[in-house]
Amino acid sequence: MLAIDAREVAKTFRAGLIRRRETPALRGVSLTVERGAVFGLLGPNGAGKTTLLSILATLLTPDRGEVYVLGLDVRREADAVRRRLNMASGNASFLWNLRIPEILAFYGRLYGVHGATLRRRVDELIHTCELDAHRRVPYNELSTGLKQRLALAKSLLNEPELLFLDEPTLGLDPDVSARLRRHIASLRSERGMTIVLTTHYMREAEELCDEIAFIKAGQILARGTADQLKRQIAIGDVIAFRLDPGAGARLGEMTGVLRATPTSDGLECTVDSAEKRLPELLAALHGEGATVRGVAVREPQLEEVFVELAR
Amino acid sequence: MNWRGELIAAGAFAIRNLQMASRNVFLIFELLFWPVVGVVQIGLMSQFLTLSAEEKSFVLIGQMAFSIVGTCQLDVAYSVLYDFWSKSMKHHFLAPIGIRHLTVGSWVVGILRGTVVFGLTGGLAWYGFGFNPFAAGVMPVVALLVGCYLTAWIVGVFVCVLILLFGGRAETAAWASINLVLALAGIFYPVSLLPWWAAAVGAAIPLTYFLDAYRAHFGFTAEFAFPVVTGLVLSALYVALSHVTLHAAVNRARRTGLLLKMSE
Ligand SMILES: Nc1ncnc2c1ncn2[C@@H]1O[C@H](COP(=O)(O)OP(=O)(O)OP(=O)(O)O)[C@@H](O)[C@H]1O
Ligand SMILES: [Mg+2]
Repeated sequence: MLAIDAREVAKTFRAGLIRRRETPALRGVSLTVERGAVFGLLGPNGAGKTTLLSILATLLTPDRGEVYVLGLDVRREADAVRRRLNMASGNASFLWNLRIPEILAFYGRLYGVHGATLRRRVDELIHTCELDAHRRVPYNELSTGLKQRLALAKSLLNEPELLFLDEPTLGLDPDVSARLRRHIASLRSERGMTIVLTTHYMREAEELCDEIAFIKAGQILARGTADQLKRQIAIGDVIAFRLDPGAGARLGEMTGVLRATPTSDGLECTVDSAEKRLPELLAALHGEGATVRGVAVREPQLEEVFVELAR
Repeated sequence: MNWRGELIAAGAFAIRNLQMASRNVFLIFELLFWPVVGVVQIGLMSQFLTLSAEEKSFVLIGQMAFSIVGTCQLDVAYSVLYDFWSKSMKHHFLAPIGIRHLTVGSWVVGILRGTVVFGLTGGLAWYGFGFNPFAAGVMPVVALLVGCYLTAWIVGVFVCVLILLFGGRAETAAWASINLVLALAGIFYPVSLLPWWAAAVGAAIPLTYFLDAYRAHFGFTAEFAFPVVTGLVLSALYVALSHVTLHAAVNRARRTGLLLKMSE
């Protein structure tokens, strides 16, 4: 069962009456996300991630394409869709004067929750999002981390089946973001929520997401699990040798070696396949009489995939 | 229609406006200072110009209506303005609510505050300047207040439309429009005094008729036949029109991305 089924979605922002400016944000994006999955959208700034999430969440109408969310057409059945999804973004903002329980109660009521149920749900969310100590603080006096947690709490008020998170850990310290990630992971494992998130932190994407789509200039360039993406993008494996300075200078010319970069204590070679090339490289080093003090083979990081794709 | 759901969603906006109002020091100005200053000024001016009792009641009624409409429409406009100012617009358009919840909920608070303003300014006009708003009974006052609240609702919703169409640039225009509407509704003079084209615009404003009806009880010949009914019919038309326009403005904001832009 699909939580999201978007086909050929296009969106161009238009501005200016006399001098019209057009910004194509999405150019025919098709995307499917299974129910119960945690799906990541990665891509450089301005790639169209927020635009895509906003269209899926009914905040933005697409120019073209069809979008089904939880089996419903976002254009014709928008209200039914809205009841069942929610969204939190890293740069969310709320009324400056209101306190956490008031903000949560307000949005809870918009989803039809009221009375004792509302009070209970607000209390629970304040508790699970670790906001207890700040109940009486006006919104504009909260720290970034607290604001972000409040945004997450708000997005859980209607117990959504589908949750969109736009850079949920933006600007958070490592400890707070690790806790937030655990919370997000538990939403899926405990409640079976489908989550679509965008992030610029590759570790976050690898840790949380079953699948990742890479989007650039309004188009999806690649999709798959983190491992699949690493293989698919074929930037190869990295073999790091610890050598004496100057040794292995000619390795870069060998077949299968895509790149050879000197490091502080040796040489890093990007090769098409470590399995195939490692013996050949070692033999070559042995041939030239170099002392190999250490060898390490590592897969490319998602970050390298990102940089490669974003280029 | 599910009335319970309707009430909860509209209630959300009412409660929020009350909470915001209770935190706002400038509430004193909105609620006490300006209305009171207005009535005092107009009252003193009418004494200085030695206006007749009828003329004095004419301008005092105008001033009271001005304060009531001004205060009440502000609450309706706040339903969108608060979110515009705090950049939180997208959250409620992400929720399954209609614009009616937003305008009705905040309007109810506007009515409450408008009634407080009426109590204050009416009391002051009576105590300070010998004008008893209830001199002709309760019903004329009720009709006038209903007219003020309906006009305020309509103006408030149109202010929301402006904000959703033009964003921050519309704010000043929004505040200017309320003064224009009231000037054309003839708060300090009969509409017949206006040039024909302005009078025609005035005749299209519901408040004109409610003022006319009320003033007829204070010795002025009515300018319109059936003013209250006309005012109500006109109001109904404008309420519908303003809501259709607001709905269209929200849809446009969803299309152009303004809804997102107002949230970042
Ligand atoms: N409301 C809007 N009005 C006009 N243009 C917009 C609007 N929102 C986004 N854009 C433009 O559309 C393009 C895609 O923007 P979008 O915000 O979707 O990118 P993003 O992938 O979320 O980027 P980031 O990583 O910086 O958040 C950009 O060129 C942006 O300038
Ligand atoms: Mg973004």
